[in-house]
Amino acid sequence: MLSNLIRSPITVRTLAKPVAITCAKLSTTQLINKSTYRTPDFDDVLKKDRNMDKSRVFSYFMVGSMGLLSSAGAKSTVETFLSSMSASADVLAMAKVEVSLANIPLGKNVVVKWQGKPVFIRHRTPHEIQEANEVDMSALKDPQTDADRVQNPEWLIMLGICTHLGCVPIGESGDFGGWFCPCHGSHYDISGRIRKGPAPLNLEIPKYEFAEDKVVVG
Amino acid sequence: MSFASIYKVLFKRNSIFVGTVFVGAFLFQTEFDSAITKWYENRNKGKLWKDVKARIGSNGAEDDDE
Repeated sequence: MLSNLIRSPITVRTLAKPVAITCAKLSTTQLINKSTYRTPDFDDVLKKDRNMDKSRVFSYFMVGSMGLLSSAGAKSTVETFLSSMSASADVLAMAKVEVSLANIPLGKNVVVKWQGKPVFIRHRTPHEIQEANEVDMSALKDPQTDADRVQNPEWLIMLGICTHLGCVPIGESGDFGGWFCPCHGSHYDISGRIRKGPAPLNLEIPKYEFAEDKVVVG
Repeated sequence: MSFASIYKVLFKRNSIFVGTVFVGAFLFQTEFDSAITKWYENRNKGKLWKDVKARIGSNGAEDDDE
C-alpha cells in the first residue's frame, strides 16, 4: 500500500509523457491521412474513352457569354451616365442661329441674338473692305489683319459686345466708320478692331460657317 | 470544326478570349438595340409619329407653325 502510494506519482509521470506526445501529433491532416474512407470506384459506369473537349468548350462558352452580357450592360450603364452629362437637344438647338444673308443689303448691319448675346453681321461694301485692309498694323492696339477676322471679306460677323465692360456698341458711328461704344467711348473700325478708347481687344469673332445663302453662327 | 480546335483558337489564350468577349459585347449591343427597336416599332405600328405624320399628310404641315 505504501509502496503503491509512493509509486503512483511515478506511474502518472511516465504515463503522462506519451499521452502528451500523441495529443500533439493528432493534427487534422494526420487524422485525414489516417482515414480509411475511400472514394467509390466509378470506373465501371464511366465511359472508357471519355472526351472532355465538348464540356470544356461549353463551360468556356458559358463563361464568355456571361462576360459578354455583363460587359454590354456595364457599357450601356456608363453611357447612360455620360449622356446625362452632355447637353440636351433643346440646349443644342439654342446654341446655333441661322441667318439668311440674302435679305441683308450691301452696306447694312444686322443684329441677331445668339446664346443671349448680340451678333453683328455687316454686309461690307468693296470700299469698306479696302479700307479695312489698308490699316497699318502698327496703328492697332490688338494687331490683327482683316483676313484673320473674316472668312468672306464681304461679310463681317462678330460678337456685339464691347471688350471693355460688355456694352453693346452702336453701328455706323465712331471716328473710324465702324462701331462706337457709348458707355466709355471705345471706337472700333470697319473690321471691328479697337482703335481708340479703353477697350483692350478687338470685337470677338464667333464660330460660324456659310451654307449656301445662309450663315450658321455657333 | 472540332471542339478541340475551337478551344485552341478561342479559349486557350486569355487575351484572345477576353478580346472576343469585348468585341462580341460591342456587336451584340448594336444588334440587340436594333432588334428591340424593330420589335417595338412593329408592335406599335400605326401609333408612331412617322405613321401619324404620313396619315395627316399635307394639312399637317400647315399646322406646324401653331
